[in-house]
Amino acid sequence: MDNMTRRVFAGAAALAALGVVTGAAAQQPVKIGVIYPLSGNSASAGNYSKMAIEVGADVVNNGNAELAKIMPIAKGGGLSGLGGAKIQLIFADNQGTPAAGQNQALRLISEEKVAAIIGAYQSGITVTASAIAERHGIPFLTAESVAANLTERGFKWFFRTTPVAIDFARAYSTFLREQKAAGQKVGSVALVHENTEYGNSVASVIAEQFAKDGLPVTQKIAYSANSSDVQPQVLQLKEKNPDVAIFISYTSDAILYTKTMKELGWKPAIMIADNAGFNDPAFVKSLGGSVEGLVNRSTFAGGKPGSVPELFNELYKKKTGGDSLDDVSARGLQGFLVMADAINRAGSTDPAKIRDALKATNLPASQMVTGYEGVKFDDKGQNILASTLITQMRGGQYVAIWPKDRATAQIVLPYKGW
Amino acid sequence: MKRYLFPGVVLVLAYPLLAAGYPVWERLGALVLLAAIGASAWNIVGGYAGQVSVGHAVFFGFGAYSAVVVYTHLGWPPIAGAPIGMLLSVAVAAVIGVPTLRLSGHYFSMATIAVAELVRVLSSTSEFLGGAQGLTGPAMPRTVFDLSFLSATPFYYIFLAVLAFLLGLTWWIERGRMGFYLRAIKDSERAARSLGVSAGRYKLYAYMLSGAFTSLAGSLYLCMFGFVDPESGFGILISVKMVVMAALGGAGQLFGPLVGALILVPLEELSNSYLGGRGAGLTFVVYGAIIVIIARFLPSGLLSLFERRSAKPAAKSEIASGHAD
Repeated sequence: MDNMTRRVFAGAAALAALGVVTGAAAQQPVKIGVIYPLSGNSASAGNYSKMAIEVGADVVNNGNAELAKIMPIAKGGGLSGLGGAKIQLIFADNQGTPAAGQNQALRLISEEKVAAIIGAYQSGITVTASAIAERHGIPFLTAESVAANLTERGFKWFFRTTPVAIDFARAYSTFLREQKAAGQKVGSVALVHENTEYGNSVASVIAEQFAKDGLPVTQKIAYSANSSDVQPQVLQLKEKNPDVAIFISYTSDAILYTKTMKELGWKPAIMIADNAGFNDPAFVKSLGGSVEGLVNRSTFAGGKPGSVPELFNELYKKKTGGDSLDDVSARGLQGFLVMADAINRAGSTDPAKIRDALKATNLPASQMVTGYEGVKFDDKGQNILASTLITQMRGGQYVAIWPKDRATAQIVLPYKGW
Repeated sequence: MKRYLFPGVVLVLAYPLLAAGYPVWERLGALVLLAAIGASAWNIVGGYAGQVSVGHAVFFGFGAYSAVVVYTHLGWPPIAGAPIGMLLSVAVAAVIGVPTLRLSGHYFSMATIAVAELVRVLSSTSEFLGGAQGLTGPAMPRTVFDLSFLSATPFYYIFLAVLAFLLGLTWWIERGRMGFYLRAIKDSERAARSLGVSAGRYKLYAYMLSGAFTSLAGSLYLCMFGFVDPESGFGILISVKMVVMAALGGAGQLFGPLVGALILVPLEELSNSYLGGRGAGLTFVVYGAIIVIIARFLPSGLLSLFERRSAKPAAKSEIASGHAD
């Protein structure tokens, strides 16, 4: 028995020694924490984003020949700046509550010893999770939370790649002024928005930007998203007959407006929808044919063959079994790629070096999965090159029409509708 | 029961020393105590008086919002909002309680849910309360009064002090006239009334006291997490968790809610930590299954284990409950 024990110990010691040797030879993986809603109300968005980021990590770790021609980080073999260290993703579920988000951030930092964190989808959860990262001095990057105050907290470890309301307003404004220059009439603009936080805030940001740029907002119509009848609102529009109508709506009201406008036979020359309801797959499937020529926004709308968005989309489709990247999952993937690039340049898992590398980030538009002009952070951590693509409904799906260098189709005006 | 008290107290006081150096465990201790404050506050009206409120999130939310509002609009440290929240909650409890406490059984529960949902919806349209986006506490601590600590240990002792005070108060009430009145009302309100107990008045007292301390739990939550929106302040899950915790440990017993919190909070946190990242919603399956098992085999709460044993000292202790401690 004694002998036996000794032999077992000797064997174990030998194995352990072997482990130490091989461990020293291969680079330690770099851990990146990812906090997403993997259960609860937003679980669907969270799980799609999780898969998108897994695709990104796979490209960094194992390489992709086509992508490597455009972005150096896709050469494969891990992070070259860290001697080929692989990226290891540690996912955590925020359960849709600010408390769980913060608890998980602490766990990722203190137990998993992650080098940086990406997350957390819902703005309220990004608030609490990033506060913990800030106190522990760990870089935190949000790829999709848009609440304006996130970058106003004076944080030193916080970065945001996604565009926010003001970026969308600027895109609409530039787009419309270009149409005006091309001879389209944009003498009057109507803003039709649902009356909670989302609709109110986006509408007021657009109104402010348009006033600055000399685009006349002549009509503002606020309505309740769960009203069952929008005839009065459409009649108001019909009476004033604005050249441009911008709709900031959720799904059921988007459906209602589309049907009511068809019934009452009114349409503007340019109809713009602010993502949300008009982008809902349910809306596109059932009413895509009734809004031919509808202008919309999205940070993702496919891309030309051989471009970064197109290549990533193909990889993603393979992983999900057919689902394409969408506005949310593409932004998540973009955030991850920015983080991977920064860690690679930092050449270290030291949080302070990663933060400095993030600050020095300067990625060109050609390397973007999303429709950003690139990635470059200001002092507050906001990506100043964040932008959006403008899309148009063509034969049941949205295609990118603006900006011109990333458009896959020519714009067709006026709005055709049904 | 009593013989567990002393080692229990020592363990609770020394816990941060055991968890020192493991931030997740330090925090877990604080989270258990915070949940226990809320559930113990609920226990006064829900357990002792038997009025099962499923709308205590109203008070929790008032506490959390009071704390963040004094910061946002006045620049005070959030904790300064706690007494305001408690006063407001007492007033609100009186306003809600007078009509709803006349309802009996599940009608009362339904009314409390309705009120909580109403407040949640209203809060999401109020610009003063930050609307649907919610309000954020101090991002970085300005003074020590902002209670913004790197470690959870200071929170642990703050929560422990509050919980000790609350349990002391409950113990005092339990042994006094009001405690007897409440138990009498719980057993049979009609019988209690016929014996001259002013049932309506004492239910209302219990409700107001319960609301005040639930509100305090909300303020402390805000100090720790630094953010509240309508869902995390007034959401129905907050009310439900208080009920489940108290029921699981033993409603109407002094240490019942604490025992419930001791089981449920670590279960929730650990299952999320180890299963949540896979994204299959496994956390809630495990969490739910354990609640179902406890509810099935120990319907009067975990504390009933100890009671059963002390009630039958002669019986051999290797009965089914033997392995549970």
